Amino acid sequence: MSDSRRRSRANQEESGGSTNGVGGQNRPERSGDMGDEDDIGGGPSGISQEDDDPTRRREIRSKYRDLINEVQQNREDMLNPANNKLTDVLEEANKLFANVRQAREAALDAQLLVLATDLGKEKASQLHAEGSSFDPSAFAEHLLSFMDLNRLEDESGMDGNLEGYLPEGAWLKLAKRAENCFRTAPAFHYMLGSFLAEPPPPRQRVERQRRVPSREEKRIMPTQLKKMEESHQEATEKEVERILGCLQRYFADDSRKADKAINLKPSLSGTAEEPISYYEFVIDPNSFSRTVENIFHMSFLIRDGLARMYLENGLPYIAPVEEGEMQPSGAAVRHQCVISISQESWREIIDAFDIKQALIPPP
Amino acid sequence: MSQRKKAGPASQNKTQRRSQLLLEEDEDATFSQITSSQAQRARENFTSDQIDHKVAEVVQFILIKDQKKIPIRRADIGKHVIKDYKHIYAEVMKRVCRTFEQVFGLKLVEIDLKQHIYILINKLEPIRGQTVSMHPGNQKMGLLFAILSVIFMKGGTVKENLVWNTLKKLRVDPGEKHDEFGDVKKVVTEEFVRQKYLEYGKIPHTEPVEYEFRWGLRAEKEVSKLKLLEFVGELFDQDPQSWTQQFREASASETSSQST
Repeated sequence: MSDSRRRSRANQEESGGSTNGVGGQNRPERSGDMGDEDDIGGGPSGISQEDDDPTRRREIRSKYRDLINEVQQNREDMLNPANNKLTDVLEEANKLFANVRQAREAALDAQLLVLATDLGKEKASQLHAEGSSFDPSAFAEHLLSFMDLNRLEDESGMDGNLEGYLPEGAWLKLAKRAENCFRTAPAFHYMLGSFLAEPPPPRQRVERQRRVPSREEKRIMPTQLKKMEESHQEATEKEVERILGCLQRYFADDSRKADKAINLKPSLSGTAEEPISYYEFVIDPNSFSRTVENIFHMSFLIRDGLARMYLENGLPYIAPVEEGEMQPSGAAVRHQCVISISQESWREIIDAFDIKQALIPPP
Repeated sequence: MSQRKKAGPASQNKTQRRSQLLLEEDEDATFSQITSSQAQRARENFTSDQIDHKVAEVVQFILIKDQKKIPIRRADIGKHVIKDYKHIYAEVMKRVCRTFEQVFGLKLVEIDLKQHIYILINKLEPIRGQTVSMHPGNQKMGLLFAILSVIFMKGGTVKENLVWNTLKKLRVDPGEKHDEFGDVKKVVTEEFVRQKYLEYGKIPHTEPVEYEFRWGLRAEKEVSKLKLLEFVGELFDQDPQSWTQQFREASASETSSQST
């Protein structure tokens, strides 16, 4: 398949060649410039077979590419003033160009020429016709000596090794001396220093940001708290009232009790005006924490004067205060006591009084 | 539809930047469009005090901008300081230059006449043994000096490899982080170039691309080639005149800078 392609390309080149043949009338002049190899030169009838030979052209192209690569890869080498490699390349290119007939090869030749001229320019710039030369490596060495390089004692003295170290402030010393060559304007600084411009603005921003949310939070807080407190208060007050209700119920007549009370037991002491044993009233045999709550709520009742507690036969009893008996809280004789209960005593009391059910129904 | 959408965020930034640059170029162009009659009329609009105040502002702006040694653009001066006073820009700048010379001993030099960028240089010649600024010397000056000397002594253009090799001999390796200079390659190819001390350009027709160094516009104005040659002569223990070509060039630039 590649064969047929090659053949078709050859055909194309031939046909292209025939059109070139019209322009080929200039060719005799060109070949005249070139010099020798003129037996190829066809007449005005068109380009001869040899010019069109694709293999030959490919050869030329590949040689050009080789030359271009050589120039690019060995750039440093070509620039070396000690040799004439660049000239050799140019001469080779010249020889090759003698065989060039068509634009494609000529383009490669032009590319090579561009590279070669660039190199030529560089090579020329390297020439310093007069005056002594300047060697950057020697310059570097002198600079190092100026900067007081500490050469280590066992320095082998080879070029490749970088022995020794520069002391502290070496570059500073060089800078000071070099400053002399500069007409630098001194950098502008306030003599007595300045306030640090940076920190304040961010701080303000942060403060403002912080202040705003806290204000909002405070606004939210009170409403929340109020709600909370109310609920607490409501809860406590409700509980206290509920317990007062229980107490009064138990203290009231049997008949009334029989209708309402679910937890009523015949063995209850609280019948018809009989005082209720404090322990039996308050203790919940199923839950210690509810027992403590009941004691807590009872204490409110006693504080408010709605119930009274007294000792009889060494045991505490409670009874609600009658409507009529209620005295203004300030005038009543007040005694204070602290009631405490622990889980152990709680269980002992349950055993002692044989409390099976809570008198105060759980909320 | 999604395929036709050209502008991603990256290209949007590019177009924004381009349009911003165009805007600034337009602003800059208005400077040159002001006729002398317009300027005359405009000067009458402002009191002498106002103009003096504006001059002081420009002076302060330039002094602070010069701290980093990055050249100042005329467009920046126009945008940030002069603003409404654009029509008397020429008058303001004249007074600014005068202030710099008489009060500070500095010269405001326009180093690029096409792009209109300015630098401040010292009007007074440095004296041997005296430090120019109160602050401790900048070590990068030493590095810069070494590079500038090599470029100058080698005819004005060197390939980057020559610079890197010389620096390596000075124990400064562009591939490694240096104790005092940090990222050396960045300092040399970016910082010094931005400050216009050096020029870092591509060599044409090279594959792979190679770069070369030249003296930058700031260095041309700020550095005394003669003094540099003197120092090189001291280092080599040679008479500076022995480098005849460089000596000729240095003397020529010295006389030209003295005449300005």
